[in-house]
Amino acid sequence: MLKYIIKRLIGVIPILFLVSIFIFLFVHLIPGDPARLVAGQDATIQDVENVRKELGLDQPIHIQYFSFISGIFQGDLGISLKTSRPVFDEIAIRFMPTFWLTFWSMVWAVIVGLLIGVISSTKRNKWQDYLGMFGAVSGISIPSFWMGLLLIQLFAVQLGWLPTGGLDSWKSYILPSITLGSGVAAVIARFSRSSMMDILKDDYIRTGRAKGLKENKVVWGHGLKNAMIPVVTMTGLQFGFLLGGSVVIETVFNWPGLGRLLIDSVAFRDYPVIQAEMLLFALQFILINLIVDLIYGFLNPQIRYD
Amino acid sequence: MKNRYWFKLVMLLILSIIVLIGCSDAASEGEGSNTDAEDAEAQETAVKEGKDLTIAVAANFISLDPHDTNDTLSYSAEKTMLEGLVGFDKDMNVVPVLAKDYSVNDDATEFTFELEEGVTFHDGAPFNAEAVKVNLDRLTAPDSTLIRSSLFELIEETEVVDEFTVKVKLSEPFGAMINTFAHPAGMLISPQALEEYGDDVSQNPVGTGPYVFEEWQPGDHLTVTKNEDYWNATGNEVDSITFVPTPENGTRVAMLQTGEADFIYPVPTEQAESINGTEGIIVENAQSIVVYYLAMNNLKEPFNDVRVRQAINYAINKEAFIEVVNNGFASPLDSIIAPDTQFYSGQSPYEYDVEKAKELLVEAGYEDGFNTTVWGANSSTAMNAMEFIQQQLAQINIELEVVPMESGTLSDSIWSVENPEDAEMEMYYGGWSPSTGDADWGIRPLVGGEDAYPPNSYNTAYYNNDEVNSLIADGLATGDPSEREQAYADVQEVIWEEAPWAFLTVDDTIFGKKNYLEGIYLLPDGSLSVENLEIVQ
Amino acid sequence: MANPETSGLATEMALDQNVEKSSPVKDFWRKFKKQRLALVAGVFILILVIIAIIGPVITPYSSDEPDYANVLQGPSLEHLAGTDNYGRDIFSRILEGTRISLSVGTISVLLGALIGTILGLISAFYGKWVDSIIMRICDVLFAFPGILLAIGIIAILGPSLVNVVIAISIFSIPNFARIVRSSALSIKSTVYVEATKSIGAKNRRIIWKHIFPGTISSIIVNFTMRIGTAILTAASLSFLGLGAQPPTPEWGAMLSGGRDYLSTAPHLTFYPGLAIFLTVLAFNLFGDGLRDTLDPKIKD
Repeated sequence: MLKYIIKRLIGVIPILFLVSIFIFLFVHLIPGDPARLVAGQDATIQDVENVRKELGLDQPIHIQYFSFISGIFQGDLGISLKTSRPVFDEIAIRFMPTFWLTFWSMVWAVIVGLLIGVISSTKRNKWQDYLGMFGAVSGISIPSFWMGLLLIQLFAVQLGWLPTGGLDSWKSYILPSITLGSGVAAVIARFSRSSMMDILKDDYIRTGRAKGLKENKVVWGHGLKNAMIPVVTMTGLQFGFLLGGSVVIETVFNWPGLGRLLIDSVAFRDYPVIQAEMLLFALQFILINLIVDLIYGFLNPQIRYD
Repeated sequence: MKNRYWFKLVMLLILSIIVLIGCSDAASEGEGSNTDAEDAEAQETAVKEGKDLTIAVAANFISLDPHDTNDTLSYSAEKTMLEGLVGFDKDMNVVPVLAKDYSVNDDATEFTFELEEGVTFHDGAPFNAEAVKVNLDRLTAPDSTLIRSSLFELIEETEVVDEFTVKVKLSEPFGAMINTFAHPAGMLISPQALEEYGDDVSQNPVGTGPYVFEEWQPGDHLTVTKNEDYWNATGNEVDSITFVPTPENGTRVAMLQTGEADFIYPVPTEQAESINGTEGIIVENAQSIVVYYLAMNNLKEPFNDVRVRQAINYAINKEAFIEVVNNGFASPLDSIIAPDTQFYSGQSPYEYDVEKAKELLVEAGYEDGFNTTVWGANSSTAMNAMEFIQQQLAQINIELEVVPMESGTLSDSIWSVENPEDAEMEMYYGGWSPSTGDADWGIRPLVGGEDAYPPNSYNTAYYNNDEVNSLIADGLATGDPSEREQAYADVQEVIWEEAPWAFLTVDDTIFGKKNYLEGIYLLPDGSLSVENLEIVQ
Repeated sequence: MANPETSGLATEMALDQNVEKSSPVKDFWRKFKKQRLALVAGVFILILVIIAIIGPVITPYSSDEPDYANVLQGPSLEHLAGTDNYGRDIFSRILEGTRISLSVGTISVLLGALIGTILGLISAFYGKWVDSIIMRICDVLFAFPGILLAIGIIAILGPSLVNVVIAISIFSIPNFARIVRSSALSIKSTVYVEATKSIGAKNRRIIWKHIFPGTISSIIVNFTMRIGTAILTAASLSFLGLGAQPPTPEWGAMLSGGRDYLSTAPHLTFYPGLAIFLTVLAFNLFGDGLRDTLDPKIKD
C-alpha cells in the first residue's frame, strides 16, 4: 500500500514536467504583450520597454522557461508581473477562500444529492422520482452567473437576509455555495440514483427483504454502502474541478479566490502567476485522483494495488 | 390518482417560485424608475453606524507606488495616503497642495516651489526640499525602470534652494510641466520608506496624506486608517476606508443597496436612475475628461479620403448613441479633447444627417458603400457602442463587422505593428483619458504624426498632417498660456475639419453614495477625491 | 467553468452486450415510454428543432432591426417578450437564437464526440503505452481549466461563434474518450472479441465491427447530456466577453448582454435565461431517460 502510494507520487513528477512545458508554451502562444499591459493605458514606448526589461521579458523564450523551471526546483515561483509581489503570496492568499467555498458547496451538495438520489431510486417513475430528478437536474441547467445574480437580487437586495458576497462571515458562504453546489448536487443525485437502482436488484438485497428486514434499513444500510463507490469517485473528481476556482461564480460573488486570480492574470498575461496556478491545478487534480483511488480500495477490498 | 395530484401541485409550486423571482425584480423597477434628483434629495438620511467606510470599485488595485502606477484606480487609493506638490481640483485646475506656491520662468524651463512647513510623513520623516529631491531623483535616475519615469524625463536637475524651497530645471521648454507635477505620478513618498523598502514601497506606501496604509490583501480589500497627525486636517476624517474590488456591475450595485458599501463607482449607467433616491442612495454624475472615439486608419482606403471620414461623422447620431449606449450619462464630443481639458476649444458639431453622409460617400465614389471592420474591447459598454455604430453605418450602406477582443489580444493587435502600411486595423473604438489634464497629452499621442504611430504611441488613426504636427510643437515650446492657447485652438480646428476619427462622446463619471456622505467625489480624470470627506447624520 | 458534467467517469454505463434481442427498437420504446419526464423533454426538444428550422419564417420582427423609439419595452401583445436596449423584439431574437444555440450545442459536442470516441477506442484496443499516453493527455486536458483553454483558443483564432464551437468541443474530448474507453474495455474482454482476434481478424475491423457498436449507446446518452453543458458553456463564455459577435442573437450573449438591466428591465434576461434553462433541462432529462432505458444494469 505505502509502496503503491510512493510509486504513484513519483509518477507525478514526469507528468508535472510535461504539464509545465505544455502550460509554458500555451501561455506564451496566446497573443498579448505583458509589458504593454502592465505599463498600462497611455504608456509611451519607452515605458513599455522599461517594463519589458524590468520583467525579464526581453530574454529569449527558452531562457525564460529555464528560469521558470529552475525557480520551481528552488521553491521560488517568481514575481507577479502585474503586482510585483511574490507569486507564492498571490496564490496562497487566494487558496483558502476557494478551498472553503468548495468544501461547503461539496458538503451540502453531497448530502442533498445523495438524499434525492436514494429516494428517487426507491420510488422509480413515481412522482417523488420525477420531482427529485427534475429539481436536481434544474440545478445543473441554469447558467450560473444568472442564478448567482438572481440569488443576490432576491436574498440580499429584496429580502436583506444575506450579504452579496465577500468574505466577512459564515453568511457570506451561503449564496455562492448554493450556486456552486447546485451542479454538483445534480451530478451526485444522478449517480447515486442509478447506482442504487443497480444495487437494489441484487440478490442479497432481495434476501434482506425476504428475511423481513425493514425496507429503510435495506435501502440506507446495505444498499447505500455498496452504491457509494462510484459516488465517491464522482465526489472526488468534482472536488478537484471546483478547487480550481470558478471564474464565473467568484466574479459574481466577489470572492477573492483562485478563479478570479486566474482571469485577472490572464487579462494581464501575468505569465508567472498563470503558470504557477496551472501547475497547482494539475498537482491538485493528480493528488485527488490518488486519494479517490485509495478510498475506492478501502470501500471495495477486492481491488489490489500493484 | 393521489400521486398525480401531488405531482401537479409541486410542479405548480416550482413554477410559481420561478415567476416570483422574475416578478420581484419587476416590482423593484416600478418603485425606482421614476425617481429624479429631487426625490433623491428628499429621501431621509440613511443611518450610518461607526465611522468606517467601504468603497466598492470595479477592478483590482495593481500598485501603491505612484511612480510605478499606470491606472486611475490605483491612483485613487494612493491619493488617500500620498500627496504631491500640486494637485487638481474638481475642474482639473492645478491647485497647490504640499507646495504653498510655485513660479515658472518665461521659457518654461525652471519651476520653483515654496513648500509647506511642519509637515511630516506617516513614518515621522520630515517633509522638506530634500525629500522632494529624493523623489524626483528617483523618477529621473538614468537606470530607472519606473513606469512613470517618462513623464519626468525632461527634468535635468532638482536643486535644493533652502529647506523649504526647491527648484526644478528642465532640459528643454515644456509648457505643460506644471500639469505633470499635479498628476498623481508626482506624489511624494517618504525618503525614509524609499530607503527601507526600495521598490517594495509599492506594497508599503508612506506619504503625508490624511490616511495611513493599514493592509492590502490583493483581490480582496485594501484598508487605510485615519492619520491622527494630518497637517491639513478638516476634523471630519473617518476612522478607516476599505476598498473592495467588485468587478461585476450587478454585485457592486447590490452592495450599495444592502449597505455593505457606502460608496461605489462606477455605477452602471443602466441602473443609475433606478437606484437613485431609493434606500438612501444618491447617484451623482459629472462630465469627465475621458473621450470616446472611432479611429479610422487614414493610411487605408477608403478612410484616406476626408469625405468618407466626414460622412461617417455625419452618419452617427450622437444623441441616440448617448441614450442607447450611455443611458444619457455622456455628452457629445465637440473637439478632440473634452471641455475640462486645458486649452479646450469647442467646434461646431457634425449634425446627424444621413442624406449629407450619403452625398459625401457618392462624391468620394462609394455610392454602394463598403465593408469594413471595427475592433474594440469586449466589455459590455464597448460592445454596445460598436453594435450601435454598426446599426448607424448600415444606413449609408457601410457594412461593419464588429470584432470585440479580449484586452491582451486587442492591445497586441493594435500595437504589434512593424510597418504602419501593414497595420490590419481599419477602425478602432476606444477611449482616452489625458491624465495630466493638459491639451498636449490629449492630442499629441493620438494624432501627433508618424512619431505617434503604434507601437510608439496611440495614433491608431495613423493620422499625419504637417500643419497639425507643427502646431503641436508650438504649443509645447512656450510657457506662456496665451500663446499655448492659440496653438491649441488652431490645432483643434484643423483636426475637427480633417476628422481622423468619428468623434463620439465625453463620458460622465458616475458614482453612487449613501446620503450621509459628503465631500467625496470623482475628479474629471476618474480618480477619487476624499480630502473633504465627512459623514453627516 | 468547472462544469460538473465534464466528469469523465460516467463509467457506470459499462455495457453488457447480450441485451439486444430480436427487436431492439420496439424494446427501447417499450421501456422509454415509461419515462414520463424524458418523454416530455423529448417532445420539447422536437419543438425546438422545428423552431430552429422554420424560425426565421415565423418571427414577427426582424431580429437585428433596431427601433430606438421602442427601447426596453416590457412584454406586451405587440412584443411578447418585450424589447431590448436597441428596441429589438426579444421574442423574435429568441426564436432566431434557437437555431444558433442548438447548432453551437450540437456541432461542438459532435466534434468532441468524434475525436473522443476515436481516441477512446484506440486507447482501449491497443492498451499499454498507447493507452497511457492518451489517458495522460486526457488527464492534462481535464486538469486544464476550461476558461484558460477557451481564452487561449479564442485569442489565437479570433472571436467568433465558430471558435466558440471549437473551444467547447475541445472540452468534450477527454470526457468522451474516457467513457468510450471504459465501455470498450469491457467489450474487449468478452470471449467473442478474443475469439475474433485469435482467428486473425484485422485490428481495424475488430475495432470497427465488434467493439464500436457496443459503445454506441453510451455515446448517445453522453452526447445528449453534453449538449446542455455546451449551451451553458457558451453562455459562460459570453459572460466573460468571449462569446458570439454582436448582433448574433445567441441566447447566452443575450442573457449576458442584458444582465446590467437585471433590476430595471428583467425581461431582457428573463426570457433568454428561461430559454437556456428549459433547453438544457430538456436535454438533461432526455439524456437521463435514455440512460435508464439503454443501461441494461437497470431493470424494471
